[in-house]
Amino acid sequence: VIWRFVQGRRSSRKAVLLLGLCDAGKTLLFARLLTGRYRDTQTSITDSSAVYRVSNDKSANVTLIDLPGHESLRLQFLERFKAAARAIVFVVDSVAFQREVKDVAEFLYQVLVDSTVLKNAPALLIACNKQDVTMAKSAKLIQQQLEKELNTLRVTRSAAPTSLDGSATGGPAQLGKKGKDFDFSQLPMKVEFVECSARGSKGEEGDADFESLEKWLAKIA
Amino acid sequence: ERGGTNSFTHEALTLKYKLDNQFELVFVVGFQKILTLTYVDKLIDDVHKEFRDKYRNEFQQKGTLGLLNGTFDFKDDFMRLLRDAEESSKVRAPTVMKTFEQSLKSQKTVKCMIETRGEKPKEKVKNKKNKGSKKEGTEAVATPGKAATGDKQPSAAGEKEELTKDEILQKNREEFFKRHMKAGEKSRSPKPEAQKEKGKKPRVWDLGNSNAKVLDYSNSATNGSAEACPVEEFDPDTALGDRNREPGRLYDLEYESDDEAEEEKVIQNPSKPSAKKGGLGGMFGMLKGLVGSKSLTREDMDPVLEKMKDHLIAKNVAAEIAVQLCESVAKKLEGKVMGTFTTVTSTVKQALQEALVQILQPQRRVDVLRDVMDAQRHHRPYVVTFCGVNGVGKSTNLAKISFWLIENGFSVLIAACDTFRAGAVEQLRTHTRRLNALHPPESHGGRTMVQLYEKGYGKDAAGIAMEAISYARNQGFDVVLVDTAGRMQDNAPLMTALAKLIAVNAPDLVLFVGEALVGNEAVDQLVKFNKALADHSMAQTPRLIDGIVLTKFDTIDDKVGAAISMTYITSKPIVFVGTGQTYCDLRSLNAKAVVAALMKA
Repeated sequence: VIWRFVQGRRSSRKAVLLLGLCDAGKTLLFARLLTGRYRDTQTSITDSSAVYRVSNDKSANVTLIDLPGHESLRLQFLERFKAAARAIVFVVDSVAFQREVKDVAEFLYQVLVDSTVLKNAPALLIACNKQDVTMAKSAKLIQQQLEKELNTLRVTRSAAPTSLDGSATGGPAQLGKKGKDFDFSQLPMKVEFVECSARGSKGEEGDADFESLEKWLAKIA
Repeated sequence: ERGGTNSFTHEALTLKYKLDNQFELVFVVGFQKILTLTYVDKLIDDVHKEFRDKYRNEFQQKGTLGLLNGTFDFKDDFMRLLRDAEESSKVRAPTVMKTFEQSLKSQKTVKCMIETRGEKPKEKVKNKKNKGSKKEGTEAVATPGKAATGDKQPSAAGEKEELTKDEILQKNREEFFKRHMKAGEKSRSPKPEAQKEKGKKPRVWDLGNSNAKVLDYSNSATNGSAEACPVEEFDPDTALGDRNREPGRLYDLEYESDDEAEEEKVIQNPSKPSAKKGGLGGMFGMLKGLVGSKSLTREDMDPVLEKMKDHLIAKNVAAEIAVQLCESVAKKLEGKVMGTFTTVTSTVKQALQEALVQILQPQRRVDVLRDVMDAQRHHRPYVVTFCGVNGVGKSTNLAKISFWLIENGFSVLIAACDTFRAGAVEQLRTHTRRLNALHPPESHGGRTMVQLYEKGYGKDAAGIAMEAISYARNQGFDVVLVDTAGRMQDNAPLMTALAKLIAVNAPDLVLFVGEALVGNEAVDQLVKFNKALADHSMAQTPRLIDGIVLTKFDTIDDKVGAAISMTYITSKPIVFVGTGQTYCDLRSLNAKAVVAALMKA
C-alpha cells in the first residue's frame, strides 16, 4: 500500500493541461491527438483525461487533460489540476484573437501568476489554433499582442483593490521584470509559440496539422 | 449551478435535459416552444435508459478513450423510441366522441371505477389539450375493466422512484385536463356542478391511477406547480420531497422513524467494510464489484440538503435561492457513485461548495482600469452609473471609487444627478474638495483630478447626465461617475426616470449598489430594477445591470449570503466590496473567502 502511494507521488506531475477560452479548440485537439479522427464537439462542462503515447516510440507517455474553458468553470478545474501539471498547452483561437485579446490575456495572466504554477514552472506552449481559416493571425503577431496586453494587465491588476481577506488580487508575484516591458522570456518557464490546426486543411476527413505540437509533446515527455 | 429546473427556453426553442451522474452523461431534447409535447419527459427517460444499458460496458471499462473511439450508433434506436412516443400520444385520437347522455350512463360505474383507479399504473396521458382529452376520456370509460388489480403490486411497493414520479405526472395532467374540461363543458351542459364534475371525471381521466382520497391529498401538495405549467416545469422531485414527510403514504413507516444519524450509519456501514478492504490494494478492484460503491439516492441526500438549506438561510441567503441551490446540487449528485472514504454529508458539502464558488466566479472580465484605459485611447470618457435603493451607500462608495481612480492617475468628473435628496449635491461637493486636497493638481501635472458637475436641485437627472458627459468629453476627463437618487423598486415613476437616464446616456458600466445586510429583499430589488431597465428601453438589447457593488460588508461578520443571492439572480459579477466609511475601504471580491465564511459551521 505504501509503495503504491509513493509511486503515485512520483508520477504525480505527468499531466499536460489543455487550457484556453471557450471555443478555442481544446476538445477537438484532444480528440485528434488521441484518436486521429475528427469529432464534433460540444462545450465541455467537465474535464477529460487520457494517456497519450508519444509517437516516436520512446515508450514515454503523458496524461492529457482537457479542461473546460467556460468562465465559471475554468478556475475551478485549474485549481484541481494545476499541481499535477508538467506542461501547459494554452490554446488560442487565432481567428477570433483580435476580438478576444483581452479575455485571452486575462486568463493567461491568471494562469501565470498562480503561485503553484510559478513554483513548478511547467513548460508552456501557446498553440495558435485554427490556422486553416484564412483570416487566422500568425503566431508572431499573437505573441506581440499578448506581450503588450500582459504588460498593461500587470499594471491594472496590481492596482486593483485588494481582496477581502487581505491577499492582493494580482498576487504578490510580479510578472516579469519591473521597469521593462513584458516579454515572454522574462518568465521562469520555457514558453514556445506554435501554429496548428485541429481541423486540418482538408477539412474533417484529413489529418490535423499539428506536427509541431506533437514534436513539442515528445520533447516534454 | 442552476441545475434545479430542467428546462430552458431560447427564442423559439425549448430544451429539456436529464443528467446521468453515474456515467456523467447529459441528455438534451429540443423542440419548438409552441408545441406542448407531452411525451417529451417519457422520451428522454426512455432514451436515457436504453442508451445507458446499451453502452454500459463501454463506459465502465474504457473511460475517455472509449468515449472518443466508440461509435455510438444510436440513431435507429432513437428513431424507434421517438416513433413509439409519438404514437402513444396519438393513439386515442380517432375515437368517436360520446355525447353527454351516454357518458352519464357510465356514471353508474363511477363508484367502482374510483376504487380501482388507484391501482392502474402508468397509462400515459399524452394529448393535445381539449380535443384529445375528450376523446381519451371516452376511452377511459370504455375500458374500466382493464384496470388490472395485478398492477396494484408495483404501484404500492417496489420501484418507488419511477412509478411515483409518473404517477404524480399523471395526476397533474388529470388536474390540468379537468380544469380545461370544466372550461369546455360550461358552454355545453346546464347540469348542476356536482353532477358535472362527476360526469367529467370518467371522461377526462384515462383511468388515472389514484382513488379519490389520494387525489385530494395531491391537490394540496402539488397544486402550486400544477397551476403554473403542469407538464413542462413540473418538477416531480419536489413533490417527492413533500411525500417523504407524508405519514407513510407510499414508503414504509420504518423509513420515517429513522433519524439521519441512523441513516448515515446505514450508508456508512456498507462503505466502511469496503473501505477496509480497499486498503489492501489489489483486492480492492475485485471487492468493488462485490460490495458495490454506494450510489447516491434522493432519500440519502434529503436530510443533509435540508440542513444545508437551513444553514444557508441562517447565513442570510435569500430563501428561494437557498432552495434552488439545494435542488440543483441534488440533481447533480443523484445517482452518482460515491468514493469509499466519503460520507453523504461530505459529498453534498463538497458539491455545494463548488456550486457556490461557481456562482461567485464572474462570467466576464472584471477589470475597470483596463476598460478605462481603452476608453482613454478612444478619447472618450468612461461613464459609470450608480443605482440602488435608498440608503445603501451610493454616494459614499462613489467617493471611494473616485479616490481609487485618482490614485491610479485618472481624472474624474462626478455628475450630481441626485437632484432630490436634501444635501446630496453638497455632500458630493465636500467629497470633491477633500479628494482634491488629498491629490492636489500640482502633483498630477497641473490638472484637477476631481471635479463636480451639478445643476442644483429639482432638475431632470437624465439631462444633467447628458450634459456632464459632453462636458467631460470636451475637457478631457477620463471617467464620469454618475450619482443617482435612491429609489424603491416599487416606485414606478422613479424607476421609469432611472431607466430613461440609462437608456438615453448609454453608460459603459451600470452598477447596482446593494448593502450586504439585505436579506430576501435583494432578490426583489434586483429583479425589479432589471425589469424596469428592460421595459423602458427602446433598444433591441436593453442595458441591464452590469455589476454589483456590495456595501457595508464590515457590518456582517460571516453572514455573507447576500453576495450569493445577488450574483445568483443577475449572473453579474460583484465588482467592488465596500468595507467601511473611509476612502480606503474598497475591496474586490474573493470568492473562496466568501464561500469559506458561508460554509463555516
